[in-house]
Amino acid sequence: MASASASASTRVVPIAPIYDEQEDNDTPLSQLTRHWMNERHAPDILPAQEELLSSLLDHIRRQSEAVQSLRGEPSASEEDHIRIMLVQMEVERVKFIVRSYVRTRLFKVEKFARFIMTDETIQARITMAERAHASRHAHLTDRHFHNVVLQSLPETQSHLDDTPIFMPPMITKPDETRAVFVHALRDCPPLRFHDKTLEMKRGHISLMPFSFIQTLLLRGDVELL
Amino acid sequence: MSSDIRQFGDLATQLVMESRRSTQTDTLLKYNDSLVRSLIREQRDLEKAAESLESGYNEEQGPPPALLIIQTAISRNKRCLLAYHSHRIDRLRDLYWTVGGAMPHILSDQEIRSKLSPHEVDYIRQYNSSVMEFRSEFSHELDITASITHPPKDLHVLVHVVKDCGVIQTELGSIDFQKGQRFMVRRADIEHLIVQGYLEEVS
Repeated sequence: MASASASASTRVVPIAPIYDEQEDNDTPLSQLTRHWMNERHAPDILPAQEELLSSLLDHIRRQSEAVQSLRGEPSASEEDHIRIMLVQMEVERVKFIVRSYVRTRLFKVEKFARFIMTDETIQARITMAERAHASRHAHLTDRHFHNVVLQSLPETQSHLDDTPIFMPPMITKPDETRAVFVHALRDCPPLRFHDKTLEMKRGHISLMPFSFIQTLLLRGDVELL
Repeated sequence: MSSDIRQFGDLATQLVMESRRSTQTDTLLKYNDSLVRSLIREQRDLEKAAESLESGYNEEQGPPPALLIIQTAISRNKRCLLAYHSHRIDRLRDLYWTVGGAMPHILSDQEIRSKLSPHEVDYIRQYNSSVMEFRSEFSHELDITASITHPPKDLHVLVHVVKDCGVIQTELGSIDFQKGQRFMVRRADIEHLIVQGYLEEVS
């Protein structure tokens, strides 16, 4: 948990994991930071990291409790107080990342709410709470459209799901063709495109459609920048 | 009626222009009830025109070209109506998050309130309860509606009170924040008050 505070003085966002080449001894925090960045850059909703998140939340709770009891300790030395302060600071910073991560997902859940309700593969990737929110949100939005527009239109026009020709569909789906910057965390198996292949070595950075690297991202071979 | 037909889509274009202006100026404009109503009237007229054309054509010639045009106009108008309303609730949700989910800020502020339609007020109330339900998942550890614009750099922050906000429980006990005063407080205790505009950070 110390890496983020070390970079605090120089950068606004802790981006340490990009330069973190020791892939095998990732701390939970650096894993979450990576998932957070991936989530922020991916057009689609990535699989929920429930275990990781709940272990970090537990950790935050235990740390906060420990801080509470230690602060009242009369025998604590000057040095202890500085340590306590550092822990508190770190807890606040971790909370910030968790909050931003959760909100990023929530934003996408709302955006794709109607699509989520119809698609099972995406439902499998999100948490129960997110699914419940998607369902509530889809109903809320439908009801709003019904109240303000659809109920006043003639019967033949009053449905939300029509698919007129020459028009984009009514349901917002994740745009998997959107280009993303991708950074190889380790040597990747060759990617095949229409006419050529690309082999990404560790440390390689390139720009390509999200759909091409989706599987690599899920395996943790690459991260998004 | 004949002049109406010549300008199908005009009203819808006006409506979409409002959304666009709202995005460009980054403001929520007043709900344009009269334009929405006249667009809905146009939809009903178009529907009648389409029905009379449908009943009138003979099988050999196929549907008259006018029907295709009317139907395209109907779909377009409907899409524009939905886009307008959808854009507004998107902005309303943005506003909700920038004030940290503080409903009184949206609903008691006359300036904002006067721009919303009654349905939009209902919408944001229900949205709020949906978010509150989601938030309760995390309530033991953190408040997900707190600010996510800047990562925290210090535990404590010097704040200047801009508006009276009454007695607030903080780490140092309860503090009565009165306009004009300054306090050094724990950021986590009062962050929401900064977001809601009661306190200002002194830098």
